[in-house]
Amino acid sequence: MIVSIALILISTLFFTMAVATLWWMMHAWRTPENLARTRFTEPEGPHRNSFSLLVPARHEERVLAATVEKVLESHYEDFEVLLIVGHDDPETTAVARALAERHPDRVRVVVDTHRVKNKPKALNTALPHCRGDVVGVFDAEDQVHPDLLGHVDHAFRTADAAVVQGGVQLINFSSSWYSLRNCLEYFFWFRSRLHLHARRGFIPLGGNTVFIRGDVLRAVGGWDQECLAEDCDLGVRLSSEGAKVVVAYDAALVTREETPDSLYALLRQRTRWNQGFLQVYRKRAWARLPLRRQRLLARWTLATPFVQALAGLFIPVGVALALLFAVPVGVAMITFLPLLPLAVTVAFEAVALHDFGVQYSLRVGPKHYLQLILGTPFYQLVLAAAAVRAVWREARGQHGWELTRHVGAHLAGGGPMREIRNEG
Amino acid sequence: MTVTTLQRAPTTGPARPAVPLRLGRSPTWLGVAAVVLPTLAVLTVQAWNISGWPAGNDDEGTYLSQAWSVQQGHGLAPYTYWYDHPPLGWLQIAALSWLPELFASHDQVMTGSLRTVMLPITAISCVLLYLLARRLGLPRWAGSLAVLLFGLSPLAVSLQRQVLLDNLAVMWVLAAMVLCASPRRDLWQHTAAGLAFGVAVLSKETIIVLLPALVLLLWQRSHPATRGFSLAGAAGGLVTVLSLYPLYALLKNELVPGSGHVSLLEGLSFQLSRPGSPSLLAADSANRQILDSWLYYDRFLLLGGLAAAVLMLLRRPMRPIGLAAVLLAVIAMRPGYLPAMFVIQALPFLALALAGTADRAVVLLRRGTAAAGRRLPPALRRPLYLTAVALTGLAAVSAVAPGWYAGDRTAVTADANDGYDKAAQWLRGALTDPATARVAVDNVLWMDLVRDGLRPGLGAIWFYKIDLDPAVARELPGGWKDLDYIVSTPTVRQPSNSRLTTVQEALAHSTVAASFGSGDHLIEIRRIVTEPAGEGP
Repeated sequence: MIVSIALILISTLFFTMAVATLWWMMHAWRTPENLARTRFTEPEGPHRNSFSLLVPARHEERVLAATVEKVLESHYEDFEVLLIVGHDDPETTAVARALAERHPDRVRVVVDTHRVKNKPKALNTALPHCRGDVVGVFDAEDQVHPDLLGHVDHAFRTADAAVVQGGVQLINFSSSWYSLRNCLEYFFWFRSRLHLHARRGFIPLGGNTVFIRGDVLRAVGGWDQECLAEDCDLGVRLSSEGAKVVVAYDAALVTREETPDSLYALLRQRTRWNQGFLQVYRKRAWARLPLRRQRLLARWTLATPFVQALAGLFIPVGVALALLFAVPVGVAMITFLPLLPLAVTVAFEAVALHDFGVQYSLRVGPKHYLQLILGTPFYQLVLAAAAVRAVWREARGQHGWELTRHVGAHLAGGGPMREIRNEG
Repeated sequence: MTVTTLQRAPTTGPARPAVPLRLGRSPTWLGVAAVVLPTLAVLTVQAWNISGWPAGNDDEGTYLSQAWSVQQGHGLAPYTYWYDHPPLGWLQIAALSWLPELFASHDQVMTGSLRTVMLPITAISCVLLYLLARRLGLPRWAGSLAVLLFGLSPLAVSLQRQVLLDNLAVMWVLAAMVLCASPRRDLWQHTAAGLAFGVAVLSKETIIVLLPALVLLLWQRSHPATRGFSLAGAAGGLVTVLSLYPLYALLKNELVPGSGHVSLLEGLSFQLSRPGSPSLLAADSANRQILDSWLYYDRFLLLGGLAAAVLMLLRRPMRPIGLAAVLLAVIAMRPGYLPAMFVIQALPFLALALAGTADRAVVLLRRGTAAAGRRLPPALRRPLYLTAVALTGLAAVSAVAPGWYAGDRTAVTADANDGYDKAAQWLRGALTDPATARVAVDNVLWMDLVRDGLRPGLGAIWFYKIDLDPAVARELPGGWKDLDYIVSTPTVRQPSNSRLTTVQEALAHSTVAASFGSGDHLIEIRRIVTEPAGEGP
């Protein structure tokens, strides 16, 4: 009897959460009107804002030059690029200095001298050097579209925004079995879910292709140097201050990136994000959000990785318990409930994979759909492991920054793998 | 692009969406009247004398006894549930069965009294049908017309009153179509449409033949940019609901056949291999007799509706409706097993097709009179158009009204269940010790015996189960000799039941204790005579 009641309660809870998560994940595609609103509008009128684009680079001498040259192809006239390098990273520094010499009017180098380095420290180091109205962030491996700044400027002008978050998309979906799921995660997040957050007034910002008004950024004190998810944290703090955030996704203008090059790298990246989410949750900046439903959405979003890990563990256990304890058939059926939205999710993912292929002119074949379906439980396992690892590290006070390395798989021809030091 | 304002930031208007907004109109009093008045008319005619006409049938009693069993916590049926139909239909009836208790009387057979559960189902179907008509672009009057055709045809009155699973399935299919045709084109509505269609199929499995019509409607009504997700949502919803049925069987270890238990696959293969008859187009076939009985009630809705449905295939917004009716007609025409209640599933689509055709006729009349009226003074043009519409309407009504009036008059006045009522009352008086009595009956009477105190299943025995359910046979080691009475009704006497040997022996070894009605409606209460010199029937 007690087993039955427990199974009913827990299954119903996970079912409800799975349905809610699915509902939010599908935000952009809910109605044709929603989908139309997720795009950038065509810019018109004279440009107004000047941009300072920050590119933190650490042991990224192989990809940095290509990235910066691409940014410099921008059709926008009023911008500068600040390359932030470490004092202990001569290789990247050399590449950065060479770029600054080639483009003295556009590119400057800022050296970060912190003993222990991480991305928020690098960004904060560069912030006093920014001359533009708007501070933008790109990662060293980002492929930026030449028209992006014009669209962002237009969004700032017409929407009177404090923050513009552009789309970021992992592209190399056929590199490995998990890269397909990883690409789709980004597709759902930037194409759909972030728009819901912008609309509801609570947004965990992305780490790059994000543009913030300089005065607003300085007023909130820049980035949190101790937080492992400084981008999410900044979004939460800006949301709490009532800053207006605009999200826009356009396949043509999206910043293209690559997936982590190994499963272990993915695990470490996710551990870092999850640990960052835990830290943001504990900082309670979200508690200052004015509306109850915003606070609820904040709690929910920050807790999602951990709840999903729990659900992943519970579903097989619950089904096994239901079969072992010979509970009534009705109860046993209820333990299968959380699996049903999961099946619907996979159906939506298959359609999204098709859309993804169409939007990026990628050839998506039957093999990929099969990979999508068969990969689901294993990918969930990796995510669950990262959630557990994050809790473990946080509990033991390990706050070191585990950097994601980049090999340029999203660039034409790819690149060789490099050794990178794990800091912290 | 999303332009989002926090509570504390100033508001600016959203960017112009690339797709024009198409939101539903809010209802007006005229719209409310256009659906409420015809629905009330339908309910009045259907409720009047609901327990008296038509004659109770064994299927109704079966679903009611199964709903009763669910309510009492006995499981999905009073006997072993053998996957004859998915159980969602009578689970819904069980949920509604508090309602007829308010109306049940000891003067009438329970199966008749309990028919009141069908009135809310009919009411909801009427409202959904009106909404669907409006969402397909028909004017209000055509929506009202569809409701009247759907609920007042003598064929509809006699079938929708009965506790039949098809009526529930129709309600859910209409809900699915209303959701598909929503002007908001919201993903949750399309997913819910899939869920609703799943409920329809688990209420009555044969309605799955309407799937192509539903897919066509969803395809037409979804936006190209989000169509893939709409289809995936609907498919996901449908599969989610359908999967519950095999899951239930799997958890009970009754999915695949095995020794000592029933199974879903056996039930399914039974339904697919039920002895059939040649096509209803062949003279003298059993299916032809069923068709004739439908035509006897209403030729106009059936034949006129089918012709209208074919016409509607040519009009894009109405094409899914035409397709639904044509699909059902094709299934009905194929040789094989044809249930007598099959036509229920076609009624809403035939009614909608006729309403759509009427709408077209009015449009053509307006154009025709406008062309002819150009030579007339302007003051006469509108009267000309109105006269043409009135004359056409009058012609249509006078063609249909006499048949419908006669049919519906029978429905509100005839007492076809008099024999069952009297048989139930007679048994109530005759059974002095109901707790130990054993009476074999058809399911129309089964609920009455249970109400009178006979043990469900083994005291009040559904006659089929004596021969077909090993669990019942075990409790009757003496076979027919263990019975006290067997009630011979038209259902029991059906030729196909001659294979039930114990039942036949019981009939042979019994004498008439009481009899009611005559001819085809004869009901005999027969006392079992165990002495060797028993009198035959």
